[in-house]
Amino acid sequence: MIEVQNISIVYGKGSEAVPALENIAFTVGEGEMVALVGPSGCGKTSLLLAIDGLLRPTSGQVLIGGEEVRGVRRDVALILQDAGLLPWKTVRQNAELALRIQKRREGVDGILSALGLNGFERRFPAELSEGMRRRVGIARALALRPRVLLMDEPMANLDSLTRERIQSLILDLWWEMRFTAVLVTHDIEEAVFLGQRIVVLSSRPARIREVLENPGMGEHEYRGSPEFLERAKRLRRILEGNG
Amino acid sequence: MKQVLAYALAVLVVFGAWALLSYSLARAKGRPILPYPWEAAVAAGENAETLLSAFGFSALRFLVALALSFFLGLPVGLAVGFEEKLDAFISPLVYLLYPMPPVALLLFLYLAFGLGEVVRLVVVVMALFFQVVVAAQGAAKFIAPTHIVAVRSTGASRWQVYWHVVIPATLPNVLTAARVSVGLGITMLYIAETKLGILLPPGQGLGRFIEYYTFRADIALAGVVALAILGLLFYVILEVLERQLCRWKYVGVKGAGS
Repeated sequence: MIEVQNISIVYGKGSEAVPALENIAFTVGEGEMVALVGPSGCGKTSLLLAIDGLLRPTSGQVLIGGEEVRGVRRDVALILQDAGLLPWKTVRQNAELALRIQKRREGVDGILSALGLNGFERRFPAELSEGMRRRVGIARALALRPRVLLMDEPMANLDSLTRERIQSLILDLWWEMRFTAVLVTHDIEEAVFLGQRIVVLSSRPARIREVLENPGMGEHEYRGSPEFLERAKRLRRILEGNG
Repeated sequence: MKQVLAYALAVLVVFGAWALLSYSLARAKGRPILPYPWEAAVAAGENAETLLSAFGFSALRFLVALALSFFLGLPVGLAVGFEEKLDAFISPLVYLLYPMPPVALLLFLYLAFGLGEVVRLVVVVMALFFQVVVAAQGAAKFIAPTHIVAVRSTGASRWQVYWHVVIPATLPNVLTAARVSVGLGITMLYIAETKLGILLPPGQGLGRFIEYYTFRADIALAGVVALAILGLLFYVILEVLERQLCRWKYVGVKGAGS
């Protein structure tokens, strides 16, 4: 479904050029959820924006469904770090934003109630808790019924209970809506809980350090099981550089 | 209720201070300098029709000038602040022209536009236009990149980015700037209605009204008060507009779940 083919991204030109990504290649099959893990600031977000078509890679290309990504695709949705809600729009207007921009007429009642946001439609983001804001961000992306969902640290800076709750929510939605997903995170347990495969990136310029298969993923009970803890330990070792 | 009381008190204080000033000036100079508030009030009552008509003309003139300034200044300011390429070329131009007082150009404005209604609007618009441009430009520079990415990632066109992000994000600052510029605008209106309003009858602008009654201090002063009320009126209108259009700015964290 998603083929990332030898992508490199360099910021700036000439002597000031800063390479962010070097020769990244991996694929995500239809309906798969892959986690991208790496140290903070390694270029994970750049990679995600390249997949979304918002950032043109310096070399290499991304294919989605066999077509080269040249700009934003309407069947791909992006969930931003800190949700990226527009503070001047209500919950409902934020959730509808992507649909309206694409001139689609579907409603958002279903997705809002699925995410436990009914009753809050007329509130502004400033009136919500952080966890609710993230859910509105998820609603905005899923209202599009995307084939591909890209997530940039959707659980960053949340307290641990809220984070686990939203992780479980994403797992449920993935089972239900069967989208293909790429999840960027720097949280080890999150990667093991949500990634069928875990692509580990090195620090800047990011290269692929290892791809870890994670067949146990998919059930809520996986979290905390001996197998889960074993995977997390292994991932930690890889990230620390003694894989 | 408390607010109404506070305003009533403020009005009393202002009139009290005014009366005191009139009294002190008369004592110091040995002759009346500044008419008392009640004298101005009586004069206003006696010339109510002319004064109201002058107020109406001035209010309309100011409203049109303010609307034109927004209409012209907002697109320029937002585009210059948001599009980096335009910023590089147009910003120096704006900064050069911004401090130039239109008052200093009255002669040329008169030669170019004559003494009709157009020239009076031009003077006020020239002053307010740059206020709007500079405010919009400043606000547009500080739009959070994540809001832009959020909208662009859904496939938004340039126009949609403006509609959903740039305009609402900058509106509070632009309206505040407009509110602060009301004082300047009223000053320019006065100049336009006096220096460029000599052909007008007194009932067609408060500036003209005040100048026409130069030798009737009580009537002229009634005109000054009317001009101040006009400024206050627009100040309040812009504040109400901001509260209505930017309601999101004024909501706090209340009743939030998790």
